[in-house]
Amino acid sequence: MDAITRIKQLGMPRRNNELWTFFPVNKIPNILSADGNCRIADECSSSEDFANEDDFAALLPIVCNARELVKTIDDGENEMAMLKCNNDFGRTVLNVGKNAKASFEILDNKVMHEICAERFDINVAEGAELEIFFANPANDLPLTFRHFDIKQAAHSTVHFANVLQDAGIGRISARVELNGEGANFDYRSLNILKGTASKHQRLTILHNAPETVSTQFVRNILDENAYASYDGHVVVGNSCSKVNSSQLVNTILLSDGPSVSVKPVLKIYHDDVECTHGNTVGELDKDQMFYLTSRGIPSDKARAMLTKAFAKELFLELPEGPAKKRLMQVI
Amino acid sequence: MLSIKNLKASIEDGTQILKGINLEVKPGEVHAIMGPNGSGKSTLSKVIAGHPAYTVNDGSVTLDGKDLLSMEICDRANSGLFISTQYPTEIPGVNNVEFLQMALNSKRAYQGLEPLADADFKKLCEEKMAMLEMDDRYRDRGVNDGFSGGEKKRNEILQMAILDPKVSFLDETDSGLDIDALRIVAHGINQIMSPEKAVILVTHYQRLLDYIKPTYVHVLRHGKIILSGGPELALKLEEQGYDWIEEN
Repeated sequence: MDAITRIKQLGMPRRNNELWTFFPVNKIPNILSADGNCRIADECSSSEDFANEDDFAALLPIVCNARELVKTIDDGENEMAMLKCNNDFGRTVLNVGKNAKASFEILDNKVMHEICAERFDINVAEGAELEIFFANPANDLPLTFRHFDIKQAAHSTVHFANVLQDAGIGRISARVELNGEGANFDYRSLNILKGTASKHQRLTILHNAPETVSTQFVRNILDENAYASYDGHVVVGNSCSKVNSSQLVNTILLSDGPSVSVKPVLKIYHDDVECTHGNTVGELDKDQMFYLTSRGIPSDKARAMLTKAFAKELFLELPEGPAKKRLMQVI
Repeated sequence: MLSIKNLKASIEDGTQILKGINLEVKPGEVHAIMGPNGSGKSTLSKVIAGHPAYTVNDGSVTLDGKDLLSMEICDRANSGLFISTQYPTEIPGVNNVEFLQMALNSKRAYQGLEPLADADFKKLCEEKMAMLEMDDRYRDRGVNDGFSGGEKKRNEILQMAILDPKVSFLDETDSGLDIDALRIVAHGINQIMSPEKAVILVTHYQRLLDYIKPTYVHVLRHGKIILSGGPELALKLEEQGYDWIEEN
């Protein structure tokens, strides 16, 4: 089934679809109608079968004839690069060879149309290490979708990290398959939001092999009327022993206006696994504020110091490299 | 210098902890405050510093004639007040040295001075750390993050040494210190002390007062100072406890 047929089958996202529970779906222009400048293409340029694709955002770039970039890193090679599609709709296919080591920063599109959608298909071969990261400090795109389809072979590692602090509405979705023993997926996301910013993350991590590891660590710093949501699904297969999966979302609300929604879903079909999830929501620690101000530091600076510390902690465990350097710099 | 008059303070549920404290501290003096657990010693330092968990119901606190109670917490510190709490707060992610530099430069800004140049701050910091026999590990860590009890107390005295306050209120600075650390910290406090400054020590034991000679010793009980005397009072308390005071 081609992508156009499939997206028409799915229809426009609705709140009663669990993939879109928290997203303000009424803000998405109806691309299935003939109106608007991002309407669906007449013919699908891709010959792939999308019959099993359930996520509207994953199909969106395909049906809008995204410009495609294919990047391959050969076995054992090292590469560090930036990825940018320069269009409203983009698709990147990234193949990381066996034991290769790669680091990619995804840059924001500067296109300012009503909607922007990108899809990344990432295949990480055995023993490969990939870090993929992005930080969008000031590019206030009105509505953005980024979907990642990641497949990892045995003993591969992916560090996926991002900082979101623009004022628009955005959704990051990922479907991660840990297909080989010992594969490790590490996700770290920082949302520093204010105004009417609305950011949503929807991850599905499939542990399809024993001794696979996944980490989801999200921190939100929310002010004014910002809204953030995190919807994280973990599925552990029935032959997958010694799986280790953790999910933690920490939120600091800087005022009375912002809100956060968190939904952990764990489907575990094996007994010998360790899977955890946690969620905290609070204000800045009053004792820490008192301590800093009692040393003469004005309260606005003390708040900034504590907020920065909360943010920095998220990325401390990233390996030394371009991602850690860049994201720490952004904070 | 520091004048506390009829200070009364309560916690959120209305329970009054301080029930009329009076204390006059002059330059060059060391005051030791002793008393049983729960008598209000720790509360006193926090109320003076402006901790939001306490409400002042009555009384006044002035430092060199300035009304401390009407000031923001940071302004009280920048006016020359330093408090060291019994359990210094851990702040992971805020670098210890960056915090110290920010605190010092905040005080300088309050005084209308330019920030201290990085090189000068580094030199000052190294000098004070050497005085307290602190190693470089303190630099790279978060404020009190993962510090042992003794390390935290030493870090408090480092802050005191760098911020150079007029009045320091040190709450059980000797707790958690081994014999060597106690000697080093006490030596540090004596080095910082001068005829223009004052120190208020809260302690349960005479051992700290063997190193830092108090000018006056006060007994705080049920939120009030019930007895004051010279250094000999601490020795008597160590020997006989507090019960005899009520008996008399």
